[in-house]
Amino acid sequence: MIRSAISVASVVAMLVAVPPLWAAGAADSIQIADPSVRAVPPGQDQTGAYLTLHNTGKQGHALVKAASPAARATELHTVVDEGGMSKMRPVAKMDIAPGGTTRLQPGGLHIMLIGLTQPLAEGAHVPITLIFEDGSRKAVHAPVRAIAVPGATMPGH
Amino acid sequence: MRRLKILVSLIVAGLLLGGLAAYVAGQRAGEPVADSTPRLPSGGDFTLDSADGPVALASLRGQVVLIYFGYASCPDVCPTSLALIKAALQTLAPADLARVRVLFISVDPARDTPAKLKQYAGYFDPNIVGVTGKPAEIGAVALRYGATYRFTPVQSAVGYVVDHTSLTSVVGPDGRLVEQLPHGTTAAEIVAAIRRWLPH
Repeated sequence: MIRSAISVASVVAMLVAVPPLWAAGAADSIQIADPSVRAVPPGQDQTGAYLTLHNTGKQGHALVKAASPAARATELHTVVDEGGMSKMRPVAKMDIAPGGTTRLQPGGLHIMLIGLTQPLAEGAHVPITLIFEDGSRKAVHAPVRAIAVPGATMPGH
Repeated sequence: MRRLKILVSLIVAGLLLGGLAAYVAGQRAGEPVADSTPRLPSGGDFTLDSADGPVALASLRGQVVLIYFGYASCPDVCPTSLALIKAALQTLAPADLARVRVLFISVDPARDTPAKLKQYAGYFDPNIVGVTGKPAEIGAVALRYGATYRFTPVQSAVGYVVDHTSLTSVVGPDGRLVEQLPHGTTAAEIVAAIRRWLPH
């Protein structure tokens, strides 16, 4: 009886001890900075979300999916410039190298919110869930704002 | 014998040098020596539809007109370009601003009605007018302004995207296409281009 209690206890101890090893997932190594969602004109039913992903770990990771209740579909996209044409394309993943930083920004990688479920007021926050290659997740609240475009500032004015 | 050898060498060297000089001169004559005015498309007048009626380029003589081809559901490239144009317009004095118009020409009339374009363009700046037309009309205008675009189906909830050039054409007060600004041209450079052509 006592022995079986000990073996049950040891099994329980193992179960408890093991999860932390598994829980060291991609999401734990990724730091998120500067999230934002581009404010859009009235009637516009899609927009882009931008943020910076920093990988503090020693292994490469990848953002493979994003989800948001603010849109009917949330996708990973990029913009490529080919032969003078700007082309927007879905991407399967966004790699984040060990110790590296991947920036989602206008003119490049971004999260597309397609079919906005409600108008996005400037200053509101859009919840976005980031899903990494191992299924681990990270929640982000991205403020809606007019996206600052590089080159739009006018020194001296 | 030895003297002959030297003479032949001199002649050969002379021929080589002469040939090289002629070649260099030929190259010079042939190249389009640092052309500061790259060849522009023909441009020219057109009339397209806005929510407030037809807009004819010919009716905008005396003004500097910026023309941008895009589409309203363009998620990234068009808003970036329009934000730069907006920033440029905001720095102009009211008297100058009154002589500048921006036409945002949608190449995607299937999704962009004039009413939608009015909302879209006006959101950026009241001086930006959204216009569109029948696909063939837009195609003809785009061709004359060197704008290219292609409807591309993608595996995405957006259905299709429009690959397109992101040029801002500058039409002078006389209606001539005078400049084309590449994608990412800064607000300061846009202002400079407007000022170059504004009548003084």
